[in-house]
Parts: sequence; C-alpha cells; structure tokens
Amino acid sequence: MATGRESGRLKDANQKRVLDEAARRRRMRKALEALELDNFHDDPHADLVMSKKVPKFQETLESRGGRKKKTRSAEYYKQRFRKTFAQLVEEDQNYNPDPPNYITAQAAPSKVPERHFCAVCGFISNYKCIPCGARYCSVRCLGTHLDTRCLKWTA
Amino acid sequence: MCYEYFGSYAEGLYKMATNKAVFILDNGAYTAKVGFSHSDHPRVIPNCIMKAKSERRRPFVGDQLEDCRDVSGLFYILPFQKGYLVNWDVQKNVWDYIFSKECCPVNFTEAPLIVTEPYFNFPSVQEAMTEIFFEEYECTSLLRINAGDLSCYNYMKKNAGTLCCLLVDSGYSFTHIAPYIKGKKLKQGIIRIDVGGKMLTNHLKEIISYRQLHVMDETHVMNQVKEDACFVSQNFLHDMEIARKRDAENTIARDYVLPDFTTLRRGYVRSIGTADKSSESEQQQILRLNNERFTVPEILFQPSDLGISQMGIPEAICHSISVCPAEAQSHLFANILLTGGCTLFPGFRERVEAEVRSRAPDHVDVRVTLPANPVTYAWQGGASLQQDPEFFNMTVSREEYEEEGHNLCFEKFDI
Ligand SMILES: Nc1ncnc2c1ncn2[C@@H]1O[C@H](COP(=O)(O)OP(=O)(O)OP(=O)(O)O)[C@@H](O)[C@H]1O
Ligand SMILES: [Mg+2]
Ligand SMILES: [Zn+2]
Ligand SMILES: [Zn+2]
Repeated sequence: MATGRESGRLKDANQKRVLDEAARRRRMRKALEALELDNFHDDPHADLVMSKKVPKFQETLESRGGRKKKTRSAEYYKQRFRKTFAQLVEEDQNYNPDPPNYITAQAAPSKVPERHFCAVCGFISNYKCIPCGARYCSVRCLGTHLDTRCLKWTA
Repeated sequence: MCYEYFGSYAEGLYKMATNKAVFILDNGAYTAKVGFSHSDHPRVIPNCIMKAKSERRRPFVGDQLEDCRDVSGLFYILPFQKGYLVNWDVQKNVWDYIFSKECCPVNFTEAPLIVTEPYFNFPSVQEAMTEIFFEEYECTSLLRINAGDLSCYNYMKKNAGTLCCLLVDSGYSFTHIAPYIKGKKLKQGIIRIDVGGKMLTNHLKEIISYRQLHVMDETHVMNQVKEDACFVSQNFLHDMEIARKRDAENTIARDYVLPDFTTLRRGYVRSIGTADKSSESEQQQILRLNNERFTVPEILFQPSDLGISQMGIPEAICHSISVCPAEAQSHLFANILLTGGCTLFPGFRERVEAEVRSRAPDHVDVRVTLPANPVTYAWQGGASLQQDPEFFNMTVSREEYEEEGHNLCFEKFDI
C-alpha cells in the first residue's frame, strides 16, 4: 500500500467519507453511459428560433416521377414511430422471448482476468484508492486523483 | 423455407430482364453507403445532421458538412441510438437529402432498393422501415437485409467454393460476430459486443480532457485523432513498457497537431521534436499522445479494461464458432472476414489472427481477411447480389406489400 506523504492525505480523505459499493457501481455506470452520449455540450443553435421552412404535421404536395404525391413531414414520422430504445427492448422481450434475440446476443463475460489501469495516467495500476476504489499507479498519480476527482464527483 | 412466398424462377428471370439498376443503401449509424449497383463504389455520407458554432444560419445534413469551414464544437443529431434507428424525423431529413438531386438522386418508383438493418432489429423498427419505403418513397420493390448477409455474399462470390464465413463487423455502435454456414447465418452464434467506434472516440476524448486539454466538445476532431493516431498493439504489456520510457527510447509517443481551421483544416500526426521552427508552428495546438494510441483500440479486444463485462473480439469469435456444428468449425476458422470502420486500425487483422490462432485447436487453419475497403464491403455485396438470378425472388414488390402487408415482409426478410 501507499506509504509516506500520501498516506497522511489518504487518512484525511478516509476520515471524511468512503464510497460504499452501491455508490461505486453507480459511478461506474454513469461513466459508461457517458461513453454513449452523442454530445457533451448543448446545442449551439438552441437559442435560435428555427425557421418556419419545415412544415409540422402537415402534408405537402411534391412531384415525384411526374405525378403529384402527398409526402409527409419528418415530424409526422417522429410521431408515428415514437419509441425509445428501452421501450423497443422491452417490446422485443414480449414479442420475441426465446433466444436468440437482442438481449441474448450480447457477449458473455470474458474468461480473461481483468487488468487494472491508473485512473490518472492510464498505465498499469497496482493500488486502489481507499475512499473511492479508483486505481492509481504511483504517489504522484494518487495526489492528482485526490486533488481532482476522488470524492469530488457527485455520484 | 416457405417457397410459396418466393416467385417462380421464370418470374425472377423475367423481372431481372426488365430490371433497371438497383439502389443500395447500407444505412450505418455513422455513415450511409449509397449508390446504384452499377457504380464502382458507393458514396459514403455521414448519417446525421450537424450544427456548427461558426455557422448559425443553417444546420448541415450529411456531406454538406464539407461546406463548413470551422467544424470546432460540432453538435451532432443522430438517427440511431445504440445501433438501432429510433429518431425517424432525423433519419427522414437525412434520407430526403441523400435521395435528392443535391446528393444521390434516385426515383424509387423505378429503382428497386436494398437497404440494410442491424442484426436482431426490433420488429417495430422493421415495420417502420417497410412502411416508410413503400408508402413514403413509393418503392417499386424492396429487400431489407442485414449488412453482414451482404458482406458474406460478397465473400462467397469472391472465394468460389468457400462454404463458410465468420463475419466480424466492427462499426460505430457495436461489434458483431456472426457465423454463416453455406451462406446462411446461424442466429444462435451471433454475438454482440457493445463496443464500437463511437465509444472509442468518446473514451479518447475523456482521457485527453482529463490528462491535458479540454476536448469534450470536439467529437469531430477527436474522432480524426483516433483514426489518424491509434493502433492495435500486438503485445500490450510490452508496448506499455515502451510508452513509459523517456525521449528517444519511447518509440510510441507522437504529437498531434490540432487543426485551427484557418491555416489547417485537418490535424495530423507528427513525430516528437520534428516541429519546424516557423512562427506559424508556434501557434499550433498540440496533443501529446502516448499510451492512448493503443489503450483505446484495446477496448475492442478486452472490454473489461473499461469495466464492461463482455468478451473481446477474439474470444467472442472462438465462442461463436464453438456453438456451430462441428463439421463447420474448421471452415469458419479459415474464413474470418473483417468489416466495419474499426477494423482499419493498423494491426487489427494481425492481432485477431494471432489471438484466435492461440485459442483455436492446433490442427485448424486460422485465416483472417481484411478487405481493401472494409467500410463499403457490405455495399459491394449488395451490388453483386443484385446480379443473382435469385435476387428478385428475395424482394417484396409494392403490390405484394399492398396485398399482404407487414406479414409478408416478416416472413421474407430474415433480419
Ligand atoms: N481509418 C480508421 N481507423 C479507425 N477507425 C476508423 C477508421 N475509419 C473509420 N473508422 C471508425 O469506424 C466507425 C464507422 O464504421 P462503419 O462505417 O463501419 O460504421 P457504420 O456502418 O456507419 O455503423 P454501424 O454498422 O455500427 O451502424 C467510426 O467510429 C469511425 O471513426
Ligand atoms: Mg455498418
Ligand atoms: Zn498513474
Ligand atoms: Zn479516490
């Protein structure tokens, strides 16, 4: 375990708070969910009033192949096929309960032993931060971790 | 197989004789690969709408992004979530653009359409696909099919006499492993690893932002950093050791010169210490890339590195083959086919081959093929399938759809 200077800091942090198992798992899940995000910032045009060009809920006439045909707006399709990913998975479980299906196709856990990496520098880690369970590799990285992330994230 | 649903052979030949070019849409979550079957290659169009900080007058649809000078802080609006089509208004806008005169003009009342869907696509998404193409785009005839089926078809055509193919598709949203035996997929053997290019880019953004420079808003640029600088390690622990070394002994570290969108539109990798001393280069923003170059793609090979409790690609390949009939297994090991953008990381093919080799029984041959273009390989398969005498028996015509509705499509299209 860590010795010397940083063990004082460790003790400090220890006395303050230690994340329980549930909070650690929550933190992990949040980190994984963040990796699915399309954007981390807000729509840069959110303050713009969108142009009235796109008709909503209304059908427009468009000529296609020499004939006139009703085409539906994008908004129509948004309403018509409105299902979230979670709803789709749930529906699939009812409709398609027997394997193989979306749920059963996901890869099983690996038999290869897990490796651990320093949460700061990314190199192989042999130590675990006591308050939060994050991994670190050296006194220096532990210091950075305690100063930046450790218990500072709200989990 | 319920052959009453397949028209007769003569009917197929007749349809083929009267056939105009077929339009193929490999509708990926990252890019749509589109074009007529007679073209040499498809156009690859970003399947999204983007908004730039620098251009507040309009959003950019698909490849309109080429008109955007400064793509910093690009905001993405995507039709897909976790690899499945859920935002139909976005998709409709992108398709309308793709099928228009501005991009890849097509009249579906004349041109039959092949469109791809992911494995195990949800029934309501499948219905929506059928409905939008028959009712909105008034398709004359439609084939909905897994992109992997097209890739496998392409592989079988190029390798006459081959009976099996173990397909790996590592794209944007996820990675699939799918065994095909005599051209038919074995659904019980299909494995999905929830790691794809999107996650790798987001992870790279995260670690660079924590370690050196805030780039969380720069998905577009960081995706290019990933594509330009990352590679698959052949000896992970050894490369970790090299990356720990200093100066010239560290043969892994590189600088990445970030684009500034005035003098430089796209960034590039540069060896350490080779900066020219001009005043221009003093203003360059640089990222120092070290273990990031290979720990990022490594997640495809060991998702548990990120805390995802799933097998990596080589383990999943062997697992998938193990559930296949014994007599097919050696053929599958000898015909592993890599498709999807992530397979373009340098070292990807070699690593898969070496790891599968070490896991496979000694007496079997392990051969892993990386096509010249793993991104458009499925589209090319569609172009080739269109010439198959069976092709028109696989499609559903609008008249058939109007008479028999969704049920016919569920029976005919094996998604
Ligand atoms: N040269 C490259 N090196 C590494 N990754 C690459 C390279 N070129 C493309 N990619 C990545 O491949 C991914 C896109 O792959 P692909 O075009 O196969 O996906 P898709 O078909 O659009 O998506 P999906 O099949 O998941 O729906 C992106 O994340 C992209 O960054
Ligand atoms: Mg794809
Ligand atoms: Zn460290
Ligand atoms: Zn901690």
